[in-house]
Amino acid sequence: MTADPIALGDDPLAALDPDARATFSALAGHLIPEAHGMPSAADVIGDARLRFVLTTRRDLLEPLLAALRPGLGEDAASRLATLERDDPEAHAALISTIVFAYYTDREVRERLGYPGQEAKQLYSWKVPDFIEEGLTDQVIARGPIWRDPATGRRAEPR
Amino acid sequence: MAAEPVDVLIVGAGASGGVVALRLAEAGFKVTCLEQGDWHDRAEYRGPELDWELTMRKQWSTSPNVRGLPQDYPLDETDAEISPLMYSAVGGSMLIFAGAWPRMLPSDFRVRSLDGIADDWPLTFEELRPYYERTDRQFGVSGMGGDPAYPPGGEDPPLPPLPLGKGGLKVARAHTKLGWHWWPEFNSILSAPYDGRRACVQRGTCQQGCNEGAKASTDLTHWPKAIGLGAKLITGARVRKIETNDSGLATGATWIDREGNEQFTQAKVVVLAANAIGSTRLLLLSADDRHPDGLANSSGLVGKRLMMHPFANVGGLFDEDLESWQGQFGCSIESFEFYETDESRGFVRGAKWGLAPTFGPINAALPSRAGTQIWGPDHHLHVKAHLGRGANWGLFGEDLPDEANQVTLSKTLTDSDGIPAPEVHYKVSDNSRRLLDFHIEKASQSLLEAGAYTVEVDRLMRYSGWHLLGTARMGDDPATSVLDRWNRTHDVPNLYVVDGSCFVTSAGVNPTSSIVALALRAADHMVETRFEQQVPV
Repeated sequence: MTADPIALGDDPLAALDPDARATFSALAGHLIPEAHGMPSAADVIGDARLRFVLTTRRDLLEPLLAALRPGLGEDAASRLATLERDDPEAHAALISTIVFAYYTDREVRERLGYPGQEAKQLYSWKVPDFIEEGLTDQVIARGPIWRDPATGRRAEPR
Repeated sequence: MAAEPVDVLIVGAGASGGVVALRLAEAGFKVTCLEQGDWHDRAEYRGPELDWELTMRKQWSTSPNVRGLPQDYPLDETDAEISPLMYSAVGGSMLIFAGAWPRMLPSDFRVRSLDGIADDWPLTFEELRPYYERTDRQFGVSGMGGDPAYPPGGEDPPLPPLPLGKGGLKVARAHTKLGWHWWPEFNSILSAPYDGRRACVQRGTCQQGCNEGAKASTDLTHWPKAIGLGAKLITGARVRKIETNDSGLATGATWIDREGNEQFTQAKVVVLAANAIGSTRLLLLSADDRHPDGLANSSGLVGKRLMMHPFANVGGLFDEDLESWQGQFGCSIESFEFYETDESRGFVRGAKWGLAPTFGPINAALPSRAGTQIWGPDHHLHVKAHLGRGANWGLFGEDLPDEANQVTLSKTLTDSDGIPAPEVHYKVSDNSRRLLDFHIEKASQSLLEAGAYTVEVDRLMRYSGWHLLGTARMGDDPATSVLDRWNRTHDVPNLYVVDGSCFVTSAGVNPTSSIVALALRAADHMVETRFEQQVPV
């Protein structure tokens, strides 16, 4: 039995009992297993990652608990299929929680070569490559493409 | 003793409201603005943070129905094929817009004359061009003059173009081979420091608020100046009715403050700048015995002809790393190659294409907007193929006006103050569907020529109603239009609507630059005709 979300206090993980937590891990590992040099979501998503997601997105907690409820069987594939068919909100919350937690993990991001949304300085005084290559010159050389309302036809070069 | 009426009361502190407020304050008008949202501190935006891709789907969603904030009003969109998007705050929806800043083209103002459908505007591109140039300077626009998609002449934008990025350069080269038009996109995003604001840092998070203040929004570009000149901006103020007197003039607005108390602000002139759904809602909410169908609605057109630009996304995947999560969002390049009508294509009008970044790993991992989801061992290959290796053409198709596409008031849904919410009725036309099909095929060809090994298509995105237009169209005939050519309602001589409601046709481009140019033109006219303006005694 899961705790009453209304009485959680600040820690959303208090809502997940051990059974729910184990079900979550099994589903995470099923959806994102270890392969192609990337770790399994079951291994990556510890309490810290899950807490981060559910603290940031409190709205996911209730439908996530619904996705992890007892009575949907032990088989991960079967549970996912049932949820997708009968309870799409819970299914979406489960998928989102797993993806959010996995891809905010530092090691996962490093393995993907993704540094986050970085600030990069612009050098707007430099002549851009497309000018150096003459790409816009070629666009201009092809002439105007706007339609002149006075004639209804493509405008003539002026 | 009753308070002295303000000269001009503006409802809404977004794009058009900010432009009008500054122009009028500069001219010495006593201006007050009522805004239901609040100021945002740039530090609140999540772009540099780990939770960026989590919060963009809830707290910073572009849909008020997803956010569900108290300052938002909900939308009944049960009967709408596209969800309207907006944001309530000082700066308005500019806080979450992309920043793309193309102008309308000359033919956009003459759709009836040229293509025999819809209507002509009561003004021309050449009449609006000086206002485009002034608002470009006000907002700080980056771009490059000389685009042969537009008539020659006029001022170049004040700042050089933003980078094309690796993907943009590939596609530009491809268009050179194809002989197709492309050009660096105009963006209201700074490529260099300007007017006390910092330059873009290419973080790619423009639609969740710009931490640098490089992307223009009127909370940065207009309101501080307007307030410095004496304009008063009241936040947390939700207007529920525009009041009128026996002479048929607007007398001010009744609104609800943060504590739930009803207030009234008396005004000589009222200006609605609350977007094409919010302003329409207010006109309909202002129905009374004298105006049973809503204020300024003798034509019966208030709320009708809603246009939202059906949108498709065509994404190419490339073998090499393009770091496509970075860059202005905004667009890097545009194409108007297939913008003008060619009836042999089986539809009229066209679409502008804009090339945009592709978000981070969570966007790559979650089911795509087209419904594709890959789980199990191959999930990792799917993410690696999508993360940073994409180039996306966003296609905005011209949306033709249809009176059945409209905003009405809900009989059941209300906002947090109990005021009826808007009900949106919107169907995508057959012309739009054929138009998008054609443009998807051509945009796919563009990306394949650029070296993409495959192309993925999101044919008609539901959450794409960024552009809210047309619900109080302008025109010279009061029987067939709500506003005159200066954005003044035909029925109420001291009531103006200066947002996208005024659009006669939608064009096929992002509309904000046109909305603010039209708003500045309307404000100039208010200043020029101030001594002829009818006001309540």
